[in-house]
Amino acid sequence: MQMSTDTDVNWQSEQTDETIDWRDRLHEGFVLRVYEPALIAWNDRRTQTGLVIVVLYLCMALVDLFGLWRDASTSQAPRMLGAFQNWSYPLGTTQSGVDVLALIIDSTPFILQMVLAGGVWATGVAVIVGTISGYKGGLTDSVITAISDFFMSIPGLPLVIVLGITLEPESPLVLGVILTINYWAGLGRSIRSQVLSIRNESYVEASRAMGTNTVRIIRKDILPNLMPYVLVNFVFAARYTIFAAVALYFLGVLPYTGQNWGITLNYAYNQGALFGLEAIHWLLAPIIAIVGLACGLILLSQGMDRIFNPRVRTRLTGESESVESTPEHTTEIR
Amino acid sequence: MSSDTLTSQGSDERQPDPILEITDTNVTYTDGESYVLEDASVSIHRDEILGIVGESGSGKSMFASAILDAVPDPGVLSGQLIYNRRDGTTVDILGLSDEQLRAFRWEEIAMVFQGAMHSFNPTMKIKTHFTETLQSHDRSVGEGMSFARELLESLYLEPERVLNAYPHELSGGMQQRALIALSMVLNPEVLIMDEPTAALDLLMQRSILSLLNDLQEEYDLTIVFITHDLPLVAGIADRMAIIYAFEFVEIGPRDAIIANAAHPYTRALLQATPNINSPLEAMQSIEGQGPAPANVPSGCRFHPRCPVATDECESVEPTLDAHDANNHRVACHHVERAREELTISTDEEGAFSATERTTQTTTDAESLLELSDLQVHFEASQGVIEQFIGEPDVVKAVDGVSLSIEAQDLVCLLGESGCGKTTLGKAMIGLQEPTGGSITFRGESLDEHDDARAALQIIHQDPSSALNPNRRIVDILSEPLLHTHPNASITERRRRITSLLERIGMTPADAYIERYPHQLSGGEKQRVVLSRALLMDPDAVLADEAISAVDVSLRIEIMDLLLELQEEFETSYLFISHDLSNARYITEHAGGRIAVMYLGEIVEIGSAQRLLTDPRHPYTEVLRWATPDLGLDTDADDEPPVREIDVPDPIDPPTGCRFHTRCPVARETCVETSPELRDCEDGDGAVACFREEPDHQYWESDPLDGASEHPE
Repeated sequence: MQMSTDTDVNWQSEQTDETIDWRDRLHEGFVLRVYEPALIAWNDRRTQTGLVIVVLYLCMALVDLFGLWRDASTSQAPRMLGAFQNWSYPLGTTQSGVDVLALIIDSTPFILQMVLAGGVWATGVAVIVGTISGYKGGLTDSVITAISDFFMSIPGLPLVIVLGITLEPESPLVLGVILTINYWAGLGRSIRSQVLSIRNESYVEASRAMGTNTVRIIRKDILPNLMPYVLVNFVFAARYTIFAAVALYFLGVLPYTGQNWGITLNYAYNQGALFGLEAIHWLLAPIIAIVGLACGLILLSQGMDRIFNPRVRTRLTGESESVESTPEHTTEIR
Repeated sequence: MSSDTLTSQGSDERQPDPILEITDTNVTYTDGESYVLEDASVSIHRDEILGIVGESGSGKSMFASAILDAVPDPGVLSGQLIYNRRDGTTVDILGLSDEQLRAFRWEEIAMVFQGAMHSFNPTMKIKTHFTETLQSHDRSVGEGMSFARELLESLYLEPERVLNAYPHELSGGMQQRALIALSMVLNPEVLIMDEPTAALDLLMQRSILSLLNDLQEEYDLTIVFITHDLPLVAGIADRMAIIYAFEFVEIGPRDAIIANAAHPYTRALLQATPNINSPLEAMQSIEGQGPAPANVPSGCRFHPRCPVATDECESVEPTLDAHDANNHRVACHHVERAREELTISTDEEGAFSATERTTQTTTDAESLLELSDLQVHFEASQGVIEQFIGEPDVVKAVDGVSLSIEAQDLVCLLGESGCGKTTLGKAMIGLQEPTGGSITFRGESLDEHDDARAALQIIHQDPSSALNPNRRIVDILSEPLLHTHPNASITERRRRITSLLERIGMTPADAYIERYPHQLSGGEKQRVVLSRALLMDPDAVLADEAISAVDVSLRIEIMDLLLELQEEFETSYLFISHDLSNARYITEHAGGRIAVMYLGEIVEIGSAQRLLTDPRHPYTEVLRWATPDLGLDTDADDEPPVREIDVPDPIDPPTGCRFHTRCPVARETCVETSPELRDCEDGDGAVACFREEPDHQYWESDPLDGASEHPE
C-alpha cells in the first residue's frame, strides 16, 4: 500500500536530469547559512557598526592572549600619568604606576568568557524550558511553569551575592552562570507564550499530521520563528551579565581574581577619582570599555532579526518579489 | 431569461439622477508609475444599488477609498468627484478641507468595512460606539439612539441586548449587522460596503442582503456594494460594474450584465463561478491571474487571459463605450465575437446531466474510516470555585456522529460555521482527541493503527499560515518524502518534487523550489499545501475549506486539481465547505456524498443531486435558499425561510431537534424529542427529521410560534 503510487504517478521530469552530489549540497548550504545571512547583516548599518565594535573587543582579547601588549604590574610606569600624555601609556597610569590600557586589555578575555557563559546559559535554558513547556502543554507545562515561578520569586541579587560568597567562583564561565542563575525563568516564560501562539499555526498542525517528531517540529517549525526574539534576549542577558559582574566587583562581593574592569573601577573610586579630575582617566577607561561592549552587542542584535526574515532575505539576494505585493488597504474613517 | 424582464425594469426608463459623478479618477503609487485605479468614470444614481465585482487585488477597495478621498498614503488621488445633494447643491469632494471631509464622511456617505470584529473597539460597549459617533457629529444623542434602535430592530436584532453588549459577546453576523446600523445612524445618503459579508456564512450573507434591500427602500439609500462574489450581488443590485486590473471593464443594468454580458472577462467570471444551476461541464476557471499594478499588460489588460484576443487587443487599449441601450458600457474591441463564441449556460434543465464517475457502492469491502457515535466535547475553562459548584459549561462540538468513508470516497461536510465541521474532520484524521464514541481505521482503532498517522493528512483553509514562512518550497515538500521514502537520495527527492510541481502547473519548477512561501500567490500556495499532503501518499485527506481563501476565478481550477490528484494518488477526501455550490461541484464530480451538519449532528446525508433536487431536511432547504444563483428571476426580497437568523449558542443547544428554534415547520414534538438519522426510503442517503415518517406523532402536534401551519 505504501509504494502503490510509485507505479501510478509519473515521477519523470524533463528538466532535472542532473544529480545533486555533496558538492552541490555544500554549496547550497554555504549560500543559505553563510553567504545570505552575511549579506543581510552587512547591509544594515546597525549590524555593521555592532560587528565592528565586537570584533574590536575580540582583537583586544587576542592581543592579551598573544602577549602583544605589556601585562599590568605595579611600578611599570610613572605614577598618575593622565591619558594621551605619554604614548607609551596612551590611557595613562594609576596611583601605583600601572598602565591603564594594560589593565583594560588584561581583563578582556575574562569578561568575554563570562559574558558568553552568562548569555548562553540564560538563553539556552530559557529556550529549552520555554519551548518544551509551551509545545508539550498539560502536566509538563504545569510542572515547568511551577519551577520557573519558584525561581522568579527568588530575589536575584541577594542569591547571586550569597552564591558568590559561598562558591567563590574563579573561573569566568562559572561566574557567568552564577550571575544569570535565575535569569532564565522570566525569559523562559515569555518564550513559552510565543511558542503557544506558533504551536497553533496551521503548518505546525500539518507537520504533526505527517507524524514528524516533536524535536524536529521544534527545530524546524518553531525555533526559526523564535530566533529574532531569542537573539535579542541573548544580548540582553549578556549585557546583564557585564553590568551585574561589574557592579558586584565594584561592591567587593566577588573574589578579586586577576584583573577586571569592575575591580579597576573600584580602585579608581577608592583613590578618590570621583572627587577630582586627577584620576578621571582611571575611572573613565573601564566605564567606556563596559558601555562600548554593551552598545556593540545591542547594535548587533538589532540587525540580527533581519537575518531570520525571509522577506528581507529574498529582497537582498535580488530574487523576484512576491506576486501579491499590492497590499489590500483598509482605511479607518470616523 | 425572458426579454420582458429587461423591459419591465422601471429604473432604466426613469431619468437617471446621479448622486455621485466620478470622472477620470486615478489613484497612483510610487510617483505616478503604478496605477491602482485608472480612469474610473462612473456615475452612481440616486437610490440605486450598484454592485462592483472584481477579484482580490483588482482595485475595487481602492475605488471605495477614492470616493471618500481616503486613499492611504503614499497613494495619490486625482480626478473629479462630484456629489449632488438632494436639494440640488453640489459638493466637489476633492476640494473639501479636512474638517469638511470629516463631517461629509458618515453624514453623507458612510462606509461598512469587511471585518466587523476589527471595526469595533473591543473595550467599548456597542452603545458607546453609537453615542460617540452621534456626539462627534453634533447630533442629538436621544433622537439618534431611538433611530439606532429602530435600525437594529429592522435588522432582526434585539436593540437592548445588542447595545449593552461588548463586541465579543456578539456573533460575527450580529456584529456585522450592528456595524451596518452604526453606519446608518447619521442617516447618510450613500452607503459604501466593502465586502461587508465576506467573512460570514452564506445563510447570514443572504439574510443580510435581503435586509439591506429592505433598508434601501425604507430609507431611500444609495448603496455601493463591493464584492468578489458575482452571484451574491446579482441578487440585489440594480446596476453592476465589473472591475479588472484597476479599470472598469463593463458597467450596465444587472439584467444586461447577467443575461447579455459583453466583456469576455465578465462572461468568463459568470462561467467560472460555481453555482447550483449550471451543468458541471459548463463551469470553467479562467486561466492565469490578474496582474500586479507594477506590470499591467499593454493594450487591453485582459488580453493575456482572453480567449478572443487579437493583435489589436495587445496594442490598442479599448475604451469604456456604450454598446447597447440602457447605458450598458463595455471596454472591449470584440463584443460581438465574445458574445458569440463564449457561451454561458445557465440552463437549469441540463444541470444534472451526467456525473463523471459513478457513485461507489462498495458496501462489501471494509470501510477506510468508520465513525460510530463520535463525540467531541470541549469544557469551557473555569475558575477554582466554579469547579466545585456547578457543572462545567460544555460545548458539544460533535455530538453522536456515525459515518463511514470508503477508499477513494469523497464526503463533503456542509454547514454554517460553528456547527462542528472542522472538529469532526480533525477528530476523523486523529488530530483531535474524541471524548466519546469510536473511530476505526481499516478495521482497527485509530489510535492503535501504526500507519494511520501518515495515512491521514490535512489541507488547511488559509494557505498562508499553512506554510512555514522560514522554509523554502523544496524544504517544505521534502518533509513528506522523508517520511514516505526515508532512504531516497536527495537527488531522488528533488526529482520527485520538481515533477510534481510541473504536474500541478508550477513551471519552471526549478525556479519555484528555491522560493519562500511569501513569493507565491495564494493559488500557488494552496497548490503547494495540496502537494505536501498528497506526497504523504495518504488514504484520506481532510480539506478544511480548502478553497475558501482562494480567488473566485481559481476555485474551480483548484477543485479540478483536487479531483485529478485524487485519482492519481488513490485517496479519499473529507471536504469541508459552507458553500453548497462548491460542495455540489466537487461531490458530483467525484460521485461522493454531502453530509449536512447542524450544531454537532449530521441532519441529512446524500448525493449532491438528491440534496439539490429533493432536500428532505428543512435545514438543507435553508442552505439551498442561501446559495446565490444567477437566474434573472432571483429575488432577494424574499424572507429567509428560517424563524431566527442566528445560530443558537452551542453551550446550551436547544432540546429535542436542535433545529426547532429556527425551523419553519417545527411543531411541539420537535421541542421534546430528537429525530434519529434514518435511511431515506425512496432515495439515497439518510435524514434526521420526523417529517420523513408519515405516521409520526409530529403530524398531530401543534406548530410552534411563527412556524408554518400547513407546510407546502
